Amino acid sequence: MNLRRLSTTATLAVAVSTLFFSLHAQGQGRGRGNADAALPTPRLADGTVNFGRVAGEKGIWQVPYITNMGMQLVDDQGNRIAPQPQRGGGRAGGGRAAGAEGRAAGAPLGGGEGTGGGRGRGGSKSEPWVPFQPWAAAVYDYNSRNDSKYDPEGYCLPPGGPRMMATPYPAEIIQLPEQKRVIMIFEGATHIWREIYMDGRPHPTGDALNPTYLGHSVGHYEGDALVVDVVGFNEATWLDYFGHPHTDQMHVIERFTRPNKGTLHYEATVDDPGAYTKPFKVAWDIPWNGSGELTEYICQENNKYLNRLTDDFNQPIFGPRRAQ
Amino acid sequence: MKTKLALGTAALGLLLAAVPVMAHHSFAAEFDSNKPIKMTGTVTKIEWMNPHAYFYIDVKDAAGKVTNWGLEMGSPNGLMRQGWTRNSMKIGDEVTVEGSAAKDGSNIGNARSVTLSGGQRLFAASSQTPANP
Repeated sequence: MNLRRLSTTATLAVAVSTLFFSLHAQGQGRGRGNADAALPTPRLADGTVNFGRVAGEKGIWQVPYITNMGMQLVDDQGNRIAPQPQRGGGRAGGGRAAGAEGRAAGAPLGGGEGTGGGRGRGGSKSEPWVPFQPWAAAVYDYNSRNDSKYDPEGYCLPPGGPRMMATPYPAEIIQLPEQKRVIMIFEGATHIWREIYMDGRPHPTGDALNPTYLGHSVGHYEGDALVVDVVGFNEATWLDYFGHPHTDQMHVIERFTRPNKGTLHYEATVDDPGAYTKPFKVAWDIPWNGSGELTEYICQENNKYLNRLTDDFNQPIFGPRRAQ
Repeated sequence: MKTKLALGTAALGLLLAAVPVMAHHSFAAEFDSNKPIKMTGTVTKIEWMNPHAYFYIDVKDAAGKVTNWGLEMGSPNGLMRQGWTRNSMKIGDEVTVEGSAAKDGSNIGNARSVTLSGGQRLFAASSQTPANP
């Protein structure tokens, strides 16, 4: 094959890849395939934004797979802080185009995991914009090196904090204004639900605030935004698959908006003085699937991953030790 | 070799295009995306269960030696969204699997797609994504 033919073939291959990339991104995001993105924001009878279904219709929020929260940090203007990779471009040397981050939002694909070590996981040094405390950086680096094998979600434990909106299974938001509460139902992770108190109550304090996986959520509307304040997290969850840690001092302020029928915009300000030197904000879009409905998913049923999981010394974590 | 390079690029594009949506455990901790597998075999057992469905196939090599492989797919809810039903595959069917082999060298793999005996090719709702290789 001469050089010109190679070049033509390679160009065609890239073009085909790019086409598939864009079709895929559009299928999940704001573009073609999400016709609801062209429709106005639905509202309840009193004018409040409807964050769920329109009466008589189906629909679910198709939560995207955000594996690395570090790539989702935004500044005060909502611009991403992490360098955004080129669409469809493989990373030189890494050999693998990575970065599903923000794909549902139609963000560029390719790259995005940082560099280093040939493993595709750069650890804390590849995310200088994440305000790690030294111990949190060390924990994150450890999780990077071992391919996140100790991720609690792999053990069928729930996500906590923003990861609820980053675990790729459908979710529903059900507003109950008469009852002054909002319920969120998550098909994935562990079939969890959240209750957000809208009756103006404060968070419990002292021992009354029992640390839990999902924390204690109180909410209110600010114009068209649903703002939720969450405290009382336990330390059994990671912020994301990549393994950004957090402590029970974590305070999350979430802001949900629905700029059109087909899009939920999610923002979360994470303030954890136990693990990070200053608060940071993450944001992404979640597309509406107007024909979707929740189905059953029971993570705990037959989790063979646990049977095969080995520790740092290649010994089974659950089950008898192997002969040396 | 140059042809291989170009085909490799196209294959990468197709691989990334066929992005599954379900995720449960760390793909990279258990499987190696640099160890692609493509094998045809006869189904011996099916476990249509959460959080991952598994099926087992007898694969015969050139010398006639039969090896039983266990293949992981996504969860039943994810598979149904990809067009599967619990009866799409039956014991005794001949199927072709594409995916990735286990890191530890055991006869276990993660199925990305399965071509059924009738010729229909379905994605297996695997936990592998470009960002979670």
